[in-house]
Parts: sequence; C-alpha cells; structure tokens
Amino acid sequence: MEDKTILELKNVRKVFGQIVALDSVSFALKRGEIHGLLGGNGAGKTTLMNILYGLYRKDEGEILLRDETVNIQGPRDAIKHGIGMVHQHFLQISNFTVLENIVLGTDIKNKYTMKMDQEAEKVKELCQRFGLNVNLNDMISTLTVGARQKVEILKALYRGVDILILDEPTTNLTPQEVDALFVSLRVMVNDGLSIVFITHKLREVLSVCDRITVLREGKNITTLDRKDASEEVFVRAMVGEKMDIENSIYFATEVRQGFDRTTVEAPKLKLENVNLISQDGIPRLKDLNLEVFGGEIVGIAGVAGNGQRELAEVVTGVVPITNGKKTYMGDDVTSKTNVDLLSSGFSYIPEDRLSDGFLPKATVAQNLILGQHRIKPYSDGRFINWKTVFSESTKYIKEYNIKTNSPGDIGGNLSGGNIQRVMIARAFSSDSQVMVAHNPTRGLDIPSMDFVYQKMLARREAKLATLLISEDLDELMRISDRIAVIFRGQILGVLVRDEFDKYAIGRLMSGITSENQPTEEKNLP
Amino acid sequence: MDTTIIDFLRLVLLSMVPFVLAGQGTMLGGRTGVFNVAQEGMMLVGASVGFLVSFFSGSILLGVIVAMLSGALFGLALAYFTTSLKMNQFVIGLALFFIGLGVSTLLPKLILGITLTPPLIPTLKSIPIPLLSQTPFIGPILFKQNILVYVSVLVSIGLWYFLFKTQKGLELRSVGEYPMTADSLGINTTKMRYWSTIIGGMLIGMAGAYLPMVYAGTFTEGMTMGRGWLAIALTFFGGWSPLPILYGSLFFSAVEVLAFRVQVIGSFLPYQILQMFPYIATILVMILTFKRSRVPGFLGNNYDREKRSL
Repeated sequence: MEDKTILELKNVRKVFGQIVALDSVSFALKRGEIHGLLGGNGAGKTTLMNILYGLYRKDEGEILLRDETVNIQGPRDAIKHGIGMVHQHFLQISNFTVLENIVLGTDIKNKYTMKMDQEAEKVKELCQRFGLNVNLNDMISTLTVGARQKVEILKALYRGVDILILDEPTTNLTPQEVDALFVSLRVMVNDGLSIVFITHKLREVLSVCDRITVLREGKNITTLDRKDASEEVFVRAMVGEKMDIENSIYFATEVRQGFDRTTVEAPKLKLENVNLISQDGIPRLKDLNLEVFGGEIVGIAGVAGNGQRELAEVVTGVVPITNGKKTYMGDDVTSKTNVDLLSSGFSYIPEDRLSDGFLPKATVAQNLILGQHRIKPYSDGRFINWKTVFSESTKYIKEYNIKTNSPGDIGGNLSGGNIQRVMIARAFSSDSQVMVAHNPTRGLDIPSMDFVYQKMLARREAKLATLLISEDLDELMRISDRIAVIFRGQILGVLVRDEFDKYAIGRLMSGITSENQPTEEKNLP
Repeated sequence: MDTTIIDFLRLVLLSMVPFVLAGQGTMLGGRTGVFNVAQEGMMLVGASVGFLVSFFSGSILLGVIVAMLSGALFGLALAYFTTSLKMNQFVIGLALFFIGLGVSTLLPKLILGITLTPPLIPTLKSIPIPLLSQTPFIGPILFKQNILVYVSVLVSIGLWYFLFKTQKGLELRSVGEYPMTADSLGINTTKMRYWSTIIGGMLIGMAGAYLPMVYAGTFTEGMTMGRGWLAIALTFFGGWSPLPILYGSLFFSAVEVLAFRVQVIGSFLPYQILQMFPYIATILVMILTFKRSRVPGFLGNNYDREKRSL
C-alpha cells in the first residue's frame, strides 16, 4: 500500500424523501489498499458507493479522483474513470456464455464474425493472474454463485478499472469460496488496484482489509488502520452506545451448550422421505428427512435456490407434498394446508416479505394479525374483534420497536426493516409450537438482529421448536443447535453444535459429501 | 404422382413467404423485448397499400417498398408507445391491429370506390435460376420461384448471421434478455428497441404485400386470413430464432396448402372444418413444443431505468 490517495468523497449528502441516508459522509481510498466499508443494514454503505458509481445522484458533496473533481452521471462515466462495481445482484445475461458477458458492450476486434480469440486470451490472462478460474465457454445459467461473482469481477478487470467496489461480496459464497476471493483480492491490490469492500460482517473486514471506515445511520463514525484497532473498537463503532454488547448474542464469544436430545422423546415436527415435484416436473425436494424437537433450533444451511424456499413452504403447508409424510406432535398432517397449520400451532416468517409475507395496502394492525386472524383472541370464529386487534397491535408495535404512528397506518409506508419487524412480531407473538423462519434478520440492523436472536433463544427455553433457514452461515452457527445442509433439494448432512465447522458446512453446501472428492473448481480449458 | 408431389412442394415454398417474413419481423422485435401482436393488422395494411401503389404506379417493386414503409410506421408507433411511453405492449398491439384492420379496408374504398370488376395487378412471376432450375425434382421446387421466396430465405439467413455472429447482434439480444445489464454496460436500449421494432415492422409489411401480389392479384378484405396470428405462434414454435422459424414456416405453409388442396378436390368434410385445420394443427404443435420453447427473458416488458432497484 502506498500513501497516495486516489479517490476522495467529501461531505456527501443524500436524502430519500424524508430519510437522510447520508449526512455529510467523507471517504478516502488510498492506492493499493483494501478499504473496508463496515456497517449494519441501513448504515448507508451501498448508497455511498452507488453515488460514486453514478447510480444515484448526490444532493451535496464532491468526488475527487486523482485530485481532480469529477462529475459521474452514470455507470458509463464511472467505468471511463476506471471505477468498477460488483453488485450484490449480478448484472449478467444468463443464456450468454461467460466470455460473451465479459466482452458485452466493449469493442470486439472481429465485430462481424465474433471470432473472439484475442479477447479470450486477454480474459484468460486475467483469470490466471488473479486466480479467478472460470470456464469461458460455460453458460452463465449453469454456474454457481461463486463462479458468477468471478465473472462479475472479470467484467470490471477486463474494462481496465483500477478502483473496484465490491458490495457484500461474500453473500451466498461458501467459506472456501470466501477464502479464495480474499486471496484474489490481495493479488489485485498488489498489482496496483484499489478495492472498496462493503460488508456488515466484522470478521471479514478484520481478515482482509488494510483500513476500515465504519458508517452508522448515514454518518461517518471512524476510519482506522486494521493494525491499530481491536475488535471491540469496531463493534462499538458499528452499533453505537446504546447496545448492550456484553449480553448480546450477535457478538457472543463464550461457547453455548447444544440442545440435549436425550431428555425429549418425540419431535414436534417430523418429515419422512418428503419429495416435492414442481409443476413443470422438476424435483425440488428429494427424500428429505428432518426432525425438529421442542426446545431446539434447527438451522438449514445452503446456497440460495437449493430448495430452502420449498422446504419452508412444504412444512407450513403452503405447497402440498408430492409424496412423503409430515408429522406434527405425533399427528399425521401431511395433507393439512397452511390454513389449518397456522391456526393449530405453526408460525412462518417467509423469505420474500414483499410478495409472501406482507400486505402493503393493509394497515399495520391487519398485517400483525394475518394468519392468526381466524382464531382467538382476534376472532370468535365469525367476526374479528377489532378492539382486541388494536390493543394487541399497540403492544406489539412497542415491544418490537416498529416505527409507525398508529396501528391504523398503511403497512406499505413502512421501511423495509420495519416491515421485517412486523413479520417477526406476528410470528413470535403467537408462541407457536413450530416456527419456520426464513432469513428472519434480512434488512435488520445489528441491535434488531440481536433482538430476534434473544427471542429465538427464549422460544428454545420455552421448549418450542424452531426451524431457521438462513443464507447467513454466521447466523446459523451462532444460534442453531443442529445445522442441516441442503443441496439440490437433499439434506447432505446434519451437524450438531459441538461439531460446527464452517469449512465442513461449506463443503456440503457445494455438494461434496466426502473429503476425498475433488473440489468443484473447474480448471481452465 | 411425381408431378403432384413437385407441385405440392412448390406451393408449400410459395406459401411460406408471409409466414417467414412476419415470423422474422416478430422475432426481431421480441429479441429486444418488444412483443408485437399487431401482425394481422400490419399485414393487412401492407397488402392494401402494396396493392394500391402497384395498381396506380404499375410497379410491384414500388408497391413492396411502400408496404414496408407502412409496416415501419406501425413498428415506430409500437416502439414509441411501449418504449418511450412505457405503455402495456399487449394493449397497444391490439389497438394497432384494429387500426390496421380499419385502414386496410378504408383505403381501397376511398381511392377506388366500389367497382364491379375487381381491379387487378400482375402477379409476381417466377424467376428460374439458370442451371439450378434444370435439376430434376428439386429444380422446379427450389429454383423456379418468385423473387420474394428467395428474399425471405436470404432475410432469414441474414438475420441469423446478424444476431449470432456480430457484435451488434449480441448487444441486441442482451437488450431483450436483461436490459439492466445492457444499460449498465453502455448499450443504448431505447435505440435498439426502436430499430428492431421498425425493421421488424418492415418485414411484416412486406409479408402483407405478398398476398395480393401472388394469390389474387387484388386486395380483398381480411385477405390475411389469420396468417398474422399464426406468425405469433410460429415465432414461439421457432424459439425466437431465425432458422427454426424458417423451418417452422414450411410446416405452417404445408398445413395451409394441404387444407386448400382437400377443399379443391372435395371431401365429405364441410369446408369450414378444413379451414380450421391450420389452427388446430397449430394448437397441437404448440402443446408439444411450447414448454421447451426458449423465449427472450424480457419479452413483453418495458424497461425503466429510474425504477432500478438496488
């Protein structure tokens, strides 16, 4: 790392409607460093970088690139200035090949024959130099998330950027893929690139970054050299003064005992050889066996899209099982639908809050009782008792810290994090025997995440069963008693708490069941 | 027997032209995400205008060119309403169909009035290709056709080459698959959508002009007889790719010729049933192939950069 500043953002301010997303934030990137941009959800990290990349317009502030003020109107300008960004959601064309995706929009030498030998050579050279192995002739749709991310990085490198922004790049990568990514990033900065690494995961910035800037609620908190600061300093900077870190689960360091199964005879929920075949004839779940006991949190790990959503929907009765058996407290409930299950002791936090979990045009109170609205105390079986609904809602709004004026407000006016709180309040308030929580902390800041974890552990104390499906491996390892790893609709392995090992889980996540098998990495052609 | 087969196959090639051109026109627009459903109306306008211009100017070439321009105009309207004004493609397409239907009947009545004997234009002559047309069996089938048969095949091959072998083609396809990606890489999605829809409209207009110039020598109301609608089915059947659309046209055309033949020979079936034959065949084929058919990812949608949610 040299001591020369290549990029500087000065006093950037951005307002969305009523909300101040960035309040006079400054940021300086040195040549040849990996600079971590750390903060919880809603801290403004992505907003700041989207302004730099020209996706958002800043309201105030200045961008200095190599000591000159620049005006970036859109991604094209950004690329022209040598700034590349790898988004959390890849911008790729799934039925084009890797090479086609990389060269798209640039001048190909043989533009009337598309003989791209020269371009392929250049890309292969980049692949080798930075350890980004990917087969150039593969279709994007056949690639894993990790490989698609490499393509996205190659797209930027191919355009010759010297500043690379990575937005939460480790989401949905296996631990092995994360390690490989970090090695590649180090090679890149040694080669002269400068990297901004956006993340909410403290451990990652500590292991890979040279300097770290912490944002919280749209404000600069601190910028420190990695070697000058301890973990505690960053924790405090991320969450502010209010949070009780000592007693938090998010930052807990002591070892917690796993669930002791010998004390309970029967599971609350049992799936036996469950198969699900989708309407277009594709098997989504294959011979799946799973037990969740009262007083236990069972985590489901896996790369997104391997059957997690289907599993959640099968358990909660949203989708009927093709064949197999589902037992709840000893009763066969295979053919019961979600209407029956939600009134008889199930609760569900769906993954996609906007399409499955929330009615944006209904009131906050209506959203809070959704699913429980057919049973007492909200209904006598025919009519809904709105008085009770409102008094209960007011209670939940306070308890779950939902930012709204009254229970009668329209749900769609809430922010994403608050909508998530409504869904959490709804699921936790019913003290259900079986809870299915799919990415329950998505979009929440750290104190709110911690609150959800406390609630889950309280369920555990109360001998209730919880099935936690999450894309966040740290989250699963933090609070699960057992972790089952799902891959292409199959449970490849189950680990109990004392055996938790992120690399072992990572191997199962990429479909490797024994250590002798070769890794999934493809060699260059 | 031999001559019957030759005759039949020659007619199949002759009748495939409107399917090929309308299918390729639909495909081209769809490849940037614009799903055109106004083919039937656009072909009728092409037929009507093409006939009138040829009748008064005496030049079939001029008739074809003006028919193509009328198709381009409809394509431009479709592009403007969907791409610039971001209105629902299906609704606009249906509106354009009805406008086309009306205009195509109105124009001859305004210009020619009502005549006792239909005004006629000379039909397209077949142009035998030297030497090749002398080949036994395939000669008369493939190389003794009118100019537009050759043109439709060349257009198909040209489009295949453009879409899959050139940089512009790659960029065009990217717009129809995932315009956010194309936009982020500096490809002008609006321009791509306009041009593909306009040129697609030209091909559909030409498909319409073919009808009076080959079959009747005159324009009659609704003379497309549903070929525009079938072109949509054909495009799905051909997986939105130029060459499969060309082969698919042969099938659609063969069914049409067959139904016509049976009518002429006479059979115990009422002719209305025979006229339904191409459509029934289409439905059957679609049931078998629809699920496997690959459709451009963004087909039927309008792209709004401001709505980029990140």
